[in-house]
Amino acid sequence: MSGVVLQKIAKAYGDIPVVHGIDLEVREKEFVVLVGPSGCGKSTTLRMIAGLEEISDGELSIDGRHMNRVAPKDRDVAMVFQNYALYPHLDVAENIAFGLRIRKESKEAIAAAVEEVSGILGLTDYLERRPADLSGGQRQRVAMGRAIVRRPKVFLFDEPLSNLDAKLRTQMRAEIKRLHKRLGVTSIYVTHDQVEAMTLADRIVVMRDGRIEQVGTPMELFNNPVSIFVAGFLGSPPMNMVAARVNAGGDVPVAEFSGQSLPLARLPALLEADGREVVLGIRPEFVAVADDGVPGRIVIETDLVETLGSEALIHAMLDDKPFVIRAQTMNMAIGQTQVLGDVSGFTIDPKLVRVFDADTGRALPGQDIV
Amino acid sequence: MVNETDPAIGATETLVVEAKEAVRHRAPSRVQRVGDHVKREWQLYLMLLPTVIWLLVFLYKPMYGLQVAFKDYSIFRGVAGSPWIGFEHFETLFGNDQFLRALKNTVIMSFYTLLFGFPMPIILALMFNEVLNATFRKTAQTIVYLPHFISSVIIAGIVITAFSPSAGIVNTVMGWFGIDPIYFLTKPEWFRPIFVGTGIWQESGFQSIVYLAAIAGVSPTLYESAVIDGASRWQMMWKITIPSIMSTIIIMLIIRIGNILEVSFEMIILLYQPATYETADVVNTFIYRQGIQAGQYDFAAAAGLFNAVVAFVLVMAANTLSKRYSRTSLW
Repeated sequence: MSGVVLQKIAKAYGDIPVVHGIDLEVREKEFVVLVGPSGCGKSTTLRMIAGLEEISDGELSIDGRHMNRVAPKDRDVAMVFQNYALYPHLDVAENIAFGLRIRKESKEAIAAAVEEVSGILGLTDYLERRPADLSGGQRQRVAMGRAIVRRPKVFLFDEPLSNLDAKLRTQMRAEIKRLHKRLGVTSIYVTHDQVEAMTLADRIVVMRDGRIEQVGTPMELFNNPVSIFVAGFLGSPPMNMVAARVNAGGDVPVAEFSGQSLPLARLPALLEADGREVVLGIRPEFVAVADDGVPGRIVIETDLVETLGSEALIHAMLDDKPFVIRAQTMNMAIGQTQVLGDVSGFTIDPKLVRVFDADTGRALPGQDIV
Repeated sequence: MVNETDPAIGATETLVVEAKEAVRHRAPSRVQRVGDHVKREWQLYLMLLPTVIWLLVFLYKPMYGLQVAFKDYSIFRGVAGSPWIGFEHFETLFGNDQFLRALKNTVIMSFYTLLFGFPMPIILALMFNEVLNATFRKTAQTIVYLPHFISSVIIAGIVITAFSPSAGIVNTVMGWFGIDPIYFLTKPEWFRPIFVGTGIWQESGFQSIVYLAAIAGVSPTLYESAVIDGASRWQMMWKITIPSIMSTIIIMLIIRIGNILEVSFEMIILLYQPATYETADVVNTFIYRQGIQAGQYDFAAAAGLFNAVVAFVLVMAANTLSKRYSRTSLW
């Protein structure tokens, strides 16, 4: 089993801890994405798995073997770097073959492997070019070719698409996904881009300040974020956050803020939270535009509409804070989207409102959407 | 006076106005562009000025005096007043055994210096790059940089003392093994090794700075990628470091080839003596003896001009070859 297991893995530079004993199990053939803001320890964790950083504490095993003291070359991992790490003096074929040459494979085996990999990645026509003569996307493909040619047990990707423009990034993202499907190699991918994380991952690991904040499938994390941090990190535009106080005195608990009240789900945790300060997490996608007079309607002040084609983003103010609504425009006539500028309220299914404790920033228990 | 009623005249007027407009709007000439650039970036040009003045005064103005190589120069008649004699000095030069000997010595010593002295700073830089202990590396670097900052006179003094037959360290050590003292600096066969070795000892450390800077510019991810691929430090040095600094090596080689006839003049003057002229006398010392000591300025200028032309041809050839075969060039 080519899984990767991290047990209480920690990293410190001198007295400064940067990764605080994380536990993670990456299953065989799984595609796991480590995501988080700069400095959260995701790249350091990946580099510890690769063997490029010494592990200060904890235990790492790959394919059932204890790896803490094993040299990078003997871990049977391959890594794709953010800046491609291509050798500028070697052509594409030589770059792809580099690892095999170092391992003294036969010339015939190297030629066959290069041919196969370049075929998979569409690099056959560029084998004699040097990296300087390639586009960003082609360079990234060569970097991946160099990684896959060795047929490692684990692929490690360190922000491999960061240097590409938006269009190419989307294209390469799909290629990476396709490649993973085809090769079925266990992959760990580091990014700070939540779109990459959502689209590529079987499971996402959200990291913050050297700790794992939450692990789960993209939809689990999207629907049931455990904290305000995760809720704000995943989703584009991010989840709206509204400070409120719970009033569980009536039939259903409600969240009260700036003279308005929003019905909440009738859940034990919310009933017990009577009088507590909370933060309401409201996904822009979960909101329905509502006209005056609709029960449970929350009033907002719209100031801008961004039309994106099939949908529009309505930027409004709620309780003096920005509030975004994602509205579908597919079934609207072309001129009709202008009325979105007049939106003055919304409603939301109480089950879709995520309630976080204002003090701890953690979600109140028992709210998960299954 | 414009005839407003005549359409033909009106059309001509329009054409003239358009032509004037076109002239006004046409692309600025190269001179104009340079002028605009100087106006815009005058601070940068001001900083450049001292170097330009230095070059003009010390390298370009003296070129005026090169014409004495083709004249029967007399200090009383001056450069302009001396009569032209064509290539007479060059004919004399190539018939002069001392010059031919100096030329041969120059080429041999330059070749040895290039062969042994050029790789040494590269090797040193590669070695420093492999040293992991920062304190040891810095100490070692300081030690090898130091000789560069010592005056040639003192270096020559150290060499003379070290190779002294009576109290020199070299002969003392040889004495421990029962070897008779050798008068190294009076033996023509020993002059070249001592000269080349001294040059390497004095300059290799300092010259290694250029290569260390080039090595520092190599992306660390290239090494990390190679480590994961299983490369040893030796393989990384051969397959990553050296190819990555190859353009710097080639540039430095071109510069060295350009200076191939510029054998360290002061060091030879300080170390050689008539007994070792046979192997120690080089073009520059020959020029010094002819020009300064014997007062044959025109003849010495001819030798100097020959030196410069050879250097120019060599550097052009090296640059062209490098551009063609390695895509790296000085210009």
